[in-house]
Order: sequence, then structure tokens, then C-alpha cells
Amino acid sequence: MKYLSEKFDVIIVGGGPSGLTAAYFLAKAGLNCVVLERGKELGAKNVYGGRIYSHNLFNIFPGFEKEAPIERWVRKERIFVLDKNDGLSIEFHKSNEQLKNSFTAYLTKFVKWLGEKAEGEGALIATGVRVDSLLLENNYVRGVIADGEKMEADYTIVAEGANSILLENAGLKKKTEPHEVALGIKEVIRLDEQTINQRFGLESSEEGLAGLLLGEASKGMIGGGFLYTMRNEVAIGVVVRLDEFERRRIYSHEIVEDLRLHPMLKPLLRGGYMLEYSAHLIVEKGASDEKELYGNGYLVVGDAAGFELNTGLTVRGVDFAIESGKLAADTIIEAHEKGKNGAEALKIYVNKLRESFVLKELKAFRKAPKFLRNRRIYEVYPKILCSFFRDIYTVKGVPKRLYPTLRGNMKGKISILTLFKDLIGAVRSL
Amino acid sequence: MSSSIDERKLSIDERLSLDNFEIDKESHIIVDTNICRRCASKVCVYACPAHLYRLENGEIIFNYEGCLECGTCRIVCPLGAIKWNNPRGGFGIHYRYG
Repeated sequence: MKYLSEKFDVIIVGGGPSGLTAAYFLAKAGLNCVVLERGKELGAKNVYGGRIYSHNLFNIFPGFEKEAPIERWVRKERIFVLDKNDGLSIEFHKSNEQLKNSFTAYLTKFVKWLGEKAEGEGALIATGVRVDSLLLENNYVRGVIADGEKMEADYTIVAEGANSILLENAGLKKKTEPHEVALGIKEVIRLDEQTINQRFGLESSEEGLAGLLLGEASKGMIGGGFLYTMRNEVAIGVVVRLDEFERRRIYSHEIVEDLRLHPMLKPLLRGGYMLEYSAHLIVEKGASDEKELYGNGYLVVGDAAGFELNTGLTVRGVDFAIESGKLAADTIIEAHEKGKNGAEALKIYVNKLRESFVLKELKAFRKAPKFLRNRRIYEVYPKILCSFFRDIYTVKGVPKRLYPTLRGNMKGKISILTLFKDLIGAVRSL
Repeated sequence: MSSSIDERKLSIDERLSLDNFEIDKESHIIVDTNICRRCASKVCVYACPAHLYRLENGEIIFNYEGCLECGTCRIVCPLGAIKWNNPRGGFGIHYRYG
């Protein structure tokens, strides 16, 4: 740790996608920066579902598709709507033009690759180092306390992730409430690549499927499920908003096992064995207030800044993390040239975020979290849809016209008025 | 590897045994069980994905070994009984397929 006693231009707290992207660009610009990562190696603490959207990667890391540890390009998007013992699915098969818009990957491996890029530019990455607290003096972040030692820097980038205890302990972020975050639980099941190709209808091992699961996947709680094909594994998981556990009192660790054994998923996973069980928080409330994104001597990036977007159909975080890391680096490079590190000088970070897709998209969907809080999406509509198809596909020699069947399935569950209200809500917020 | 998982649910302990941990001597989470005694909710028992909070004779029993470091317990605890810290550098869960 001796080399850590020198003074750095920039300390980056956390070696995830946002922190490492910031390190890459800072080092490239010749700034003296260090990434402090508490895991024994990069990626040891990173967990997500399994998919990265590539739109900004093509600009930020040209040629990444030849170097990065990509598992499969997402050819198919499948939505599952599950009831207890049956369910329906709808699949979108992409053309070649769209194929490279997203890929599945293990974040653990992806950040190791990002780390090599950053080190290649001269960034220092210190693993196995825990930041105990931010070094806050007179309303100024002057660095950090790491493993009991003071480390100073002109700039600190807080990339600590969704469980943002350093910012909260320093009073720089409001305490996280249960309704603002969700718990994601994932299981990784080893199959072999040919089996995966066959079961999911994939032409080759370069192409994969991404699944979104609704209804029984989260036992009707606010949340859902996901399924991603990796090269030799399938990652399946559930997401449940934290305030739901108080209401429903279901063991979180049981939900994912019930999903794995659901009649619609079981045959897809047959013969596999489990490699790992993991969990992580997901920010559901949207971006932090602009005042919480920067301050004297510091900037906040990635999950810690709330840069995650759930539109109901797409769930994104890594592309936002990488973009915000780059913009934080750009901000510091500019401020450093002027020799300034106060909040006034760092405020341009917010402007850069606003001009980028980060705040443009998060703002466009600012009403989405409230709409997605509507429990009928998870509890009522999946059941109506499943019972509708159950009726339609059960021929008994009695007339079943579509509309009366649908009305029959809605009866006692939802009124036409409420249905219209929800549809208008969806139009306004999504 | 264990017998087929096709037809049966794996217990949480079976699943945690698949994970890599470097367990520290000291707990990174401190639970004030005196506060838990007057907690009517005890929602941590349900929310923790590693099932590390268990009820025995109405009392919360907590074990930090097996912690997946998600932070759920800290956020759901209604009485602030849980003091959460990241484990010391290099310790705790070591994900391979995160």
C-alpha cells in the first residue's frame, strides 16, 4: 500500500464499469489516478442480469467487439407472462442490422477487460482495498480513508454502486428507502452451447436470447424475472422491489427456485447444474437529484448516481455507467486544466449529462417509476392474459368469441374504466 | 457436482455452498438484537437473499457468513438496527459469474 501514500490527481472509489471508464479517460489525458476496489480482483463484487447495450461502446471503445468478453449477441427478445402452471410468450427475432445492439456478458469478466484497458493507459488499479469513508473536510471531499489510512486527491469520483453507503454516511445522499430499490437474485446454470442453441432456437453460438418474465416470476410482486443465454450457461433471476417483502412476506431466496422449476422454464434448463448464486441491488427510482451528482471535490457516477433505467421492457445500467464515467473524466480534465476542483467548476458534469443520453433518456422516462409502481401490472394483468389464452385454447364445443371471453376473464378482477386509466398511464409515462 | 437439480428446489445452504467466500474473522454487519426485540416487522427474515436472518423462539439470529453483500437488510430494516459496512478489502463474497 506504500505507493498509495502519494497524492493523486483523482481517486476513483469502485472498480465497476463507471469507475474504470473514468480511469481509462483520465489516465489517457495524463492525469495521475487510482481506482480503489474492495474485491480481491476486479469483478469480484459485480453482479447484474446479463446484458449490455452497445450503442455508446462503439464510440467510446472503438473495436471493443473484437476484444471484450462477449458471450452472445442478442438475436431474440422473448417476453414471458407467467401464471402458476401455465404462461404465454412472445418473441421478437432481430434482423442482422439490429443484432449488435446488445450482447450478453458476465460483468465480472467485462470489468476485468475494462481494467486492462485502463491500466494500458497508465491508470493504477488497487484491488483488495476498501474505502472506509470519504474524507470530508469543511464541506469538501479531499479524498478517502482506505483501510484506515488517509489518501488525498484533488478529485474523488464516487463509483461505489447501488448500495451507496459512503455517500449516505457522509450525508451527501439521502438515505435509500425500500421503494426506491429492488433486489435482484441470479442463478447461473451450466448447460452446453449446442443444447442452448437448440433449446432457444439459435442459429449459432454467437447469438443469444434475452428473456423478460412477468407475473408469477415475481409472485405478482412489483418486479419480474430475467433469462439470458450465455455461451455455455443460462442466467436466470428475479427482481423484487424491496418494500414488497413487508407486504407479502415471501422468502426472496425461494422465488428464484420456484421460477427455475416453473413448467415453462424447467424443460429449457433440464440437465443443467448450478454454478453460482448471487444478489445485488437495482436502483428503481431514477437518477439522483442534480445536487447529489457533484459537489466540492467530487462527482458521482453509475449506479451510485441512480443511472439505471427500467422502461418495463428494457432494463439498462451498464451503458449509463460507462457514459457517466466518461463524462466525469471529461469534466475533471477540463476543471484540472483550470486548476479548479470546487462545486462551481464541477457543475459542468450535469450539463454534459443533460446533453448526453444519460439524462435525456432518464428524464424522458421520469414518470416511468411511478407508473411501474402500479401493482396491477404484476398481479392482475398477467393472470387475465393467461386465463384468456387458457380459455381460447381449450375447445369444449361451446361458443367462445374473443371479446366475451376477455370480459369474462376480467370480471371481478378489473373494470373497463381502470383498464383505460392504466392504458393512458402507460402512454403518458412509457 | 451434486445430483440433478431438474426436479427439486435447492435449499439456500446448498446454493450458498456453490459460492466462493473469503470469510473474515469479524462481521461486517452488526445487528442490535435489542432493537429487533421491539420490531414487529422482522422483514429482514424474508428479504435477505442468503437467508442469514432467522427467527428462533421469536428472536433474530444473524450470521454474516454467506452474505452476498447486496445491502438489502440495511435498507429494509425499519428500526435502523443494522449497521452495515463493506467487508474489509479482499474479504467476503468473490463472484465469478456476476
